[in-house]
Amino acid sequence: MTTLEVRNLVKQFHGSQQSAVNDISFELSDGEILAVVGPSGCGKTTTLRLIAGLERPDSGVIRLNNHVVAAESVFIPPEKRGVGMVFQDHALFPHLTVYENVAFGLRGKKTSEVRTIVGDMLHLVGLLQFSKRYPHALSGGERQRVALARALAPHPVLILMDEPFSSLDADLRTEVREHVRSILKSRQATVVFVTHDQDEALYMGDRLAVLQKGHLEQIGTPQEIFHDSNTRFVAEFMGDSDFLKGKVVPGGIQTEIGLLNQVVELPISTPVEIAIRADDIDFQIDGSGNSLIVERFFRGAFNLYRLRLDSGQILHAFTDHTQILPVGARVRAYIHVEHSLTVFSE
Amino acid sequence: MVSKTKISIFLLVMMIGASACSAAPAVTEESATLAAPVTSVSTEAPVEAEVAGDLVIYSGRSEPLIQPVIDAFKAKYPNVEVLLKAGSNSELANALLEEQANPQADVFITTELFTVQSLAGQGIFQSYLPLGADQLPDEFLGADSMWTGLTRRARVIIYNKDLVSEDELPTSIFDLTDPKWKGQIAAAGSTNGSMQAQIAAMRQLLGEEETEAWLNGLIANEVTFFGGHTDVRKAVGAGEFKLGLVNHYYFHLQQAEGSNVGIIFPDQGEGQIGLLSNATAAAIVNSAPHTAAAQAFLDFLVSADGQKLFAEQNYEYPLLPGVALQADVQPLDGFRLADVNVVQAALDFDATFDLIEKVGLP
Amino acid sequence: MKALSISPRLAIAAGLVALFVAIPLVYIFIRAFGADTESWQRLLQTRIWKLLGNTLLLVVAVTSGTLVTGVSMAWLTERTDLPGRKIFRWMLVMPLAIPAYIGGIVYLALLRPRGGYIPQVLENIFGQSVFTPSPLGFFGAAFILTLFTYPYVYLLSGAAFRSLHASLEEAARTFGRTTFQTLFQVTLPALRPGLAAGALLVALDILAEYGTVALLRYETFSSAIFVQLSGRYDRSAASVLSGILVTLAILILWSELRLQGQARFTQMESNWRPAPLTLLGKWRFPAFLLVMGVISASLIIPVAVLVVWSIQAFLDSQSLTTIFHTGSQGFGSYVWNSLWSSGLAALIAVLFSLPVALLAVRYPNRFSRFISRFCQVGYAIPGVVIALSLVLFVNRTLPFLYATPFVIVIAYVLRHMPQAIRASESALNQLSPSLEEASRTLGRTSLQTLFQVTLPLILPGLLAGGSLVFITSLKELPATLLLRPPGFDTLAVRVWVWAGEGFYLQAAPAALLLVLISALPLSFLLRREKIFR
Repeated sequence: MTTLEVRNLVKQFHGSQQSAVNDISFELSDGEILAVVGPSGCGKTTTLRLIAGLERPDSGVIRLNNHVVAAESVFIPPEKRGVGMVFQDHALFPHLTVYENVAFGLRGKKTSEVRTIVGDMLHLVGLLQFSKRYPHALSGGERQRVALARALAPHPVLILMDEPFSSLDADLRTEVREHVRSILKSRQATVVFVTHDQDEALYMGDRLAVLQKGHLEQIGTPQEIFHDSNTRFVAEFMGDSDFLKGKVVPGGIQTEIGLLNQVVELPISTPVEIAIRADDIDFQIDGSGNSLIVERFFRGAFNLYRLRLDSGQILHAFTDHTQILPVGARVRAYIHVEHSLTVFSE
Repeated sequence: MVSKTKISIFLLVMMIGASACSAAPAVTEESATLAAPVTSVSTEAPVEAEVAGDLVIYSGRSEPLIQPVIDAFKAKYPNVEVLLKAGSNSELANALLEEQANPQADVFITTELFTVQSLAGQGIFQSYLPLGADQLPDEFLGADSMWTGLTRRARVIIYNKDLVSEDELPTSIFDLTDPKWKGQIAAAGSTNGSMQAQIAAMRQLLGEEETEAWLNGLIANEVTFFGGHTDVRKAVGAGEFKLGLVNHYYFHLQQAEGSNVGIIFPDQGEGQIGLLSNATAAAIVNSAPHTAAAQAFLDFLVSADGQKLFAEQNYEYPLLPGVALQADVQPLDGFRLADVNVVQAALDFDATFDLIEKVGLP
Repeated sequence: MKALSISPRLAIAAGLVALFVAIPLVYIFIRAFGADTESWQRLLQTRIWKLLGNTLLLVVAVTSGTLVTGVSMAWLTERTDLPGRKIFRWMLVMPLAIPAYIGGIVYLALLRPRGGYIPQVLENIFGQSVFTPSPLGFFGAAFILTLFTYPYVYLLSGAAFRSLHASLEEAARTFGRTTFQTLFQVTLPALRPGLAAGALLVALDILAEYGTVALLRYETFSSAIFVQLSGRYDRSAASVLSGILVTLAILILWSELRLQGQARFTQMESNWRPAPLTLLGKWRFPAFLLVMGVISASLIIPVAVLVVWSIQAFLDSQSLTTIFHTGSQGFGSYVWNSLWSSGLAALIAVLFSLPVALLAVRYPNRFSRFISRFCQVGYAIPGVVIALSLVLFVNRTLPFLYATPFVIVIAYVLRHMPQAIRASESALNQLSPSLEEASRTLGRTSLQTLFQVTLPLILPGLLAGGSLVFITSLKELPATLLLRPPGFDTLAVRVWVWAGEGFYLQAAPAALLLVLISALPLSFLLRREKIFR
């Protein structure tokens, strides 16, 4: 069942030439987590706020559980949409205790019922013992979980999360996101999750939507997005890709470091670019090779090398951590793939 | 005043909601209902117990100089709540002109006659001859009983006896422009009614040019102009200045404080203009909200009791015949007085202000 | 952060507040420029140029004086090992509780040439008159106004000194600057926006000043307007002067608003650490004496004199009678009048500031910014001008309000609402909009959100703004003098009337009470500023 449907959503702010959100459409099924990802200013937060009702769209339609909440002549205010939101800064009410924060969205319910729900929620996020504390007495991770509990408590049709982990330290972030995802899944919550962090998007999302300049570039499973990028932007943004120039020849694509055996439906001689990642390239020391080691980065489990081809093109490649090659050494690099690569015609 | 406050509170509550109630002003408990309105000009004294409610007085006499009279009046009329606004004559005259359509004041008291005379001509007052006022000299009653004189005061020079010897005393106000007194003289400034009246009188007696020369002479002589005469008398009493141009009673008030000061009644010689004097006056404002109380107050001011207060407390010359001067106060009969036409001076009052501005009197 | 499109209810409320502010302002301009050419000519020929020169000279002198005093005191108490600096921080702000005209009264009584206490004591000791500086005229007025307005600059520069990052100065030191070079080349320039804001605040204050300059006999625009009102039966000249004064003040305000954006108190960041104190060494004692001198002149002497006078007044039965029963009112009645009129003004100013601040902070655009700035124009309009326009306007259009204390309250609100607007705006600025949005997504309407989330959280900020309005209304003199209905006295009016008649003993208890009442909310404000860190 479709929980959220967004059709041709457009939003432009005063004084801005460009649309913040430009003709975005997607659907979200019950219990699904959609991670909306893109660089800052891509319109992902605006999309979220439009769904929440915190902004009014210029045009387009938003349906929640098949009810229109925003359209040409319809605008349901945020308090009537039944949407839960987790904010970037958590937005816990500093004048209310943890308990009161979580109970804030439970108006109109009996006290006993409120007590049960808040108890359940705090139990779920593991903060039952903190219910009498004020937000300032909590750590960042705890605040994060209170914010989640508060959003979940009224049992909203949809949870919106706006970069919820960005205010946490890097090591805490990994821990919290595992915890949060398991909570969301245990509640079978339908979630729109906004982030600028590709890793986080790949981890959190059942599906990913990649936005750029207000435009929806691609929507799909993490695998589709990562391995089968529709656009050069997606490939570049999602996976540290280098773009290797080449030319279509019969039987594949000729590049500076050899032939890629991948048939593309393009006329012969078309100049193309291949999105290629460090794990798609191997290299060996070779005095008459095609490239030079410019720099080596130690990455723990492996070493990452930056290679400069004779044409000046830069590529990245891995070796495992036991093998250390000197900077300045001449090497021969070649394509080493067992899957197809994404090819863009120039 | 009471009902107005109520209206304003009501508005306020409407504007800011019931929460403001606790902050709303407490007003006088006095009932706003007045004695039955007096239909015609009455010459009978209102019965004391019947006169009740507010009485709004605009006074050009400064507060300390009117307060004892008000206190005595209130002792006699305990049901009257006196609301006083003291200021300069012109400031209050301005207010009366502004309030013509919306009268606030009942009684106006000035420290000279030109302002009441001028306002009477503009229809600001109502006619009322206080009880017993027929005994006052005619020149101190306004035409059609629009105003009533209260007391007289002379313009004199006060001097500090420690600093000035008898033989070097000035004898004329024109001596004040003598450079030998440079920086040693204090006077009241242009906002003071008595000073304004003095200038107006001099304009009439001497003409514009001579008065202007005198004023410029004072300024050139670095006369210090204070806001009021109390400052002047205290400064002379303290020896801050050798001479001061004041009304005569300021000398007595300062002397009563124990200062070694003397008084000069100037311009008594041949060819000199004579002693300048002026009078205080009271009038009832047209459509005054509390006419009965106003009439009772004016009656009291010209009564022997009221006149005695002015004479005893403030060393003024009472206008009601038969009221004794305070001891030490020299009777005016012994002096040659300058002869000023009040009606004409009032008509020329605007030109006096022009002159004050022209010379830039502080 | 962009937000919902402007709520019409809010825009209407803010617009009504702006209209409330606009009426007296527009009215005075109409009167000024509708005055007959004769009034203009008379003034242009004689007075205006002298008044303009006098006024600007005083503004420049006092502004420079407060800058030097305020910054040096702030540096000594915030950045050096000056002994007693913690208590000094508090004492250096307290002169704000003393209206400058009360300071003027005290110094006039003490130092008036020949007549003052000090010249007389000296004369008695030495048997001849000894020269003492006079509190009268330009130098006296500049000195006394500096003494009682420098705390504005002190507060702003003190806060700036405190929030400045230590690393900024350390960086300068690593580039080979000495302590003092660092102070002048790095620290002070970094404080410049705050200093400019403080200085402009002082400048506007001086433009509006009436009591002190009138008392010390230095004629400025404000006092000249008063003189005009006490002069001829014609208010057009006063209106003309008012129009010019307002124009002048708006120019200053305009430049102040341009600086305002940069002058916000820097928020202390988590990695903030205090800069090391400068060791004064052999300068410790002279510096201590200097600060003590400023505190003595601006706080200890005036308060001590008021206390002594008050005691004398209470010991003298005649003074005591006049103090407790003056005009038609007793002491309690004008204390109460002061309290309720200023308190009500504070309440209304805060309430009125809310829609304006909400609009400006939550829906920032040209319209809302304009409304906010326009409503702050009262800063620039001296009390005497506001009073004059209210007298004329209210009597003609709202006669039932005329001569009620409510008009005084309106004047206070008009004049001091800017402080409430700024406090409300800064409180709202510190409140993350996501808190309000969270409330909306949790089922609260915008109005419920206002009452359940926004107001409780900005309440301390609103109280601060209200306190400021209260303090400044309490000491407002010219507007109260001109607008008070008969029989309505406040502490400020009583002090002024008594002192104007030379009755210092009678004036002292009222003045002392005025200072004490102001000191309470001021202490509350200081605690918020964390001045005792």
